[in-house]
Amino acid sequence: MKHLGIAVLLMVFYMLPDRSWSEDNYTFDLDEIEKKPYQVAGYVEARPVLYGLDDDAALYRLRFYDDPQGHTRWQINGRVRLEGSYEKSIYRMFARLNTDLAYDDAGGEERTTVYEAYLSAKAATSVKIDAGKKTLKWGKGYAWNPVAFMDRPKDPEDPELAMEGYVMATADWIRSFDGPLTTVAFTPVLFPVYDHVNDDFGETEKINWAGRLYFLLYDTDLDVMFMTGGSRPDRYGVDFSRNLTTNFEIHGEYAWLPNTRKLVLDAGGTPRRTREDAHAFLVGLRYLTGFDLTTIVEFYHNGAGFDREEMKAFYDLVDRGYASYQDTGNASGLAQALQLAGSGYARPSAMRNYLYVRMSQKEPFDILYLTPALTCIINTDDGSLSLTPELFYTGITNLELRLRASLIAGDGRSEFGEKQNDYRFEVRAGYYF
Amino acid sequence: MLKLLGFILTLAMAWPAHAIDGNALLKEVDRNLNPESYEMYRKLINLEPDGRKKEFTLFSVKKGADKVAALFLAPASEKGRSTLRLGDNMWLNIPNVGKPIRITSLQSVVGGIFNNADILSLDYGDEYDVVQTEQPDPAHLLLLLKARTRTVAYDQLSMWVDKARTLPTRIECKTADGMLIKTLHFKEIKDFGGGIVRPSVIETDSPLYRGYTSIMLFAGIKKREFKDEVFTLTFMPNLESLR
Repeated sequence: MKHLGIAVLLMVFYMLPDRSWSEDNYTFDLDEIEKKPYQVAGYVEARPVLYGLDDDAALYRLRFYDDPQGHTRWQINGRVRLEGSYEKSIYRMFARLNTDLAYDDAGGEERTTVYEAYLSAKAATSVKIDAGKKTLKWGKGYAWNPVAFMDRPKDPEDPELAMEGYVMATADWIRSFDGPLTTVAFTPVLFPVYDHVNDDFGETEKINWAGRLYFLLYDTDLDVMFMTGGSRPDRYGVDFSRNLTTNFEIHGEYAWLPNTRKLVLDAGGTPRRTREDAHAFLVGLRYLTGFDLTTIVEFYHNGAGFDREEMKAFYDLVDRGYASYQDTGNASGLAQALQLAGSGYARPSAMRNYLYVRMSQKEPFDILYLTPALTCIINTDDGSLSLTPELFYTGITNLELRLRASLIAGDGRSEFGEKQNDYRFEVRAGYYF
Repeated sequence: MLKLLGFILTLAMAWPAHAIDGNALLKEVDRNLNPESYEMYRKLINLEPDGRKKEFTLFSVKKGADKVAALFLAPASEKGRSTLRLGDNMWLNIPNVGKPIRITSLQSVVGGIFNNADILSLDYGDEYDVVQTEQPDPAHLLLLLKARTRTVAYDQLSMWVDKARTLPTRIECKTADGMLIKTLHFKEIKDFGGGIVRPSVIETDSPLYRGYTSIMLFAGIKKREFKDEVFTLTFMPNLESLR
């Protein structure tokens, strides 16, 4: 009888709903995820930044020669991104609008840009046609993509940022197979460059063509791509990505850039246009340890970038222009340097060889949703570098918080050594809705 | 006499259930959990010890033995993200970033205890062999599973199967040296229609995340056929069109 009593008690215990489950009694109703023909979403961001300025650096002098800033400068940045879509039958419209706001001592500025706006027609599962403004994002690299022929360059310090697209028409055709060749996809691209249409891309009054052929072959992603048409010199590329083990991925890109044009300064400081065949490539890996440390390492070679002598000539030009401005008040030398800066000398990764290392530790000490990371970008031509530690927290639904510092090290006449800032601290709070 | 009966009963419960074809049983478990090709909705809830929670809603599709894709529907910060699995290959597509990147099975795109292998799970029978079958009590069978390759997220599984329904009630996921990584508890049997009667809740805890719990709720499981082209990188941004 005693045993029967214990058995009944045990049965009752097992029949009771589980404690942790019953406490909240979560439900999942299909009405919650009912599909609507239209969708609207958005993102708002606040990003105050404190810059530690280097008033001996060439890029500081170039920007602030007539408005000295002292040792620090703050800026409050904001961003509002709205996107919406409407879907009917095989058609879908999508638009993404981005507004950047920046306020500092000098006042505020606002820039609103249509990042993407296109119409899609999905004629079949294996065929889709898009027309409008969009991004292609070709390539496998994390920080750089030498084969992204028709996209704006990424910022390697923030490679996951949404970017503005170009106006184009594309199609996707997909076929799947059994066997080692699992997938083949072809993406042809029609890319017009005219006044007011992609006119910042290159030579206008041109219709450009591009294409990408994708294969999933022996568990390896492979792409072959090209671009031709005259707005920029023709170019050809390949890329690949493959998991060697479940926690170890390798990837690479190669681009052949014949007839690459470049405005360079010779040793005497005279600008001249050059034309040469160039190669660019990237090799990289992503490795995840058993304790959730993800490491990304990439080496990037850009044969079309500036070499050390060309870069030194640019910094010399800035120095001469600055000295002349201080002596005579004549800013024409600095104006010439500003023009060259805009043509490429001051853009991110303007030189030839870079190493990128990023280590991010997911949820250390069992703190859910917290990811500390350390990113280092080294210019291997001159040994200068930027070091960026950060903390990223996503524990509150739809809110992302990022605390980041960026420190720069490099001698005079090195790329990072001549940047306008010695360091930068920023807090970014972004909310999705 | 009672002692003898107890001994025989204990022996029967501990003795490997030789008469049972473990792999055939595992296939039956798989088919009772899901059709081979299906669509489904899932809600993942990560519960923290202080009561805070974070929810994710996903739409998933699967075809055959090795093709799975999932699209995040909520929260807003994750909406539009999609994941694809083709055998051992896994990718994540983030709309802003724009292109699919390769991910690994042990990472977690949602944080918490569920990792990518849990979110993009294949049939157990496609990744594991049953190496031993036991009967721990009259109502359950215990299947000891060993991963077929090193690419599988968990090297060993101990699966308790309800004999009457041929459905799992608990699965312990372990490393090659037997260390427990997490335990899945299958709960709330529900009739989803179309002959699919299965647990509608999987609750997960882990000694690696003491005090934390992750819950997966299931809804809208339906048998559905898809073209192979759905399970490609190029199609990933278009998964929403399948809903």
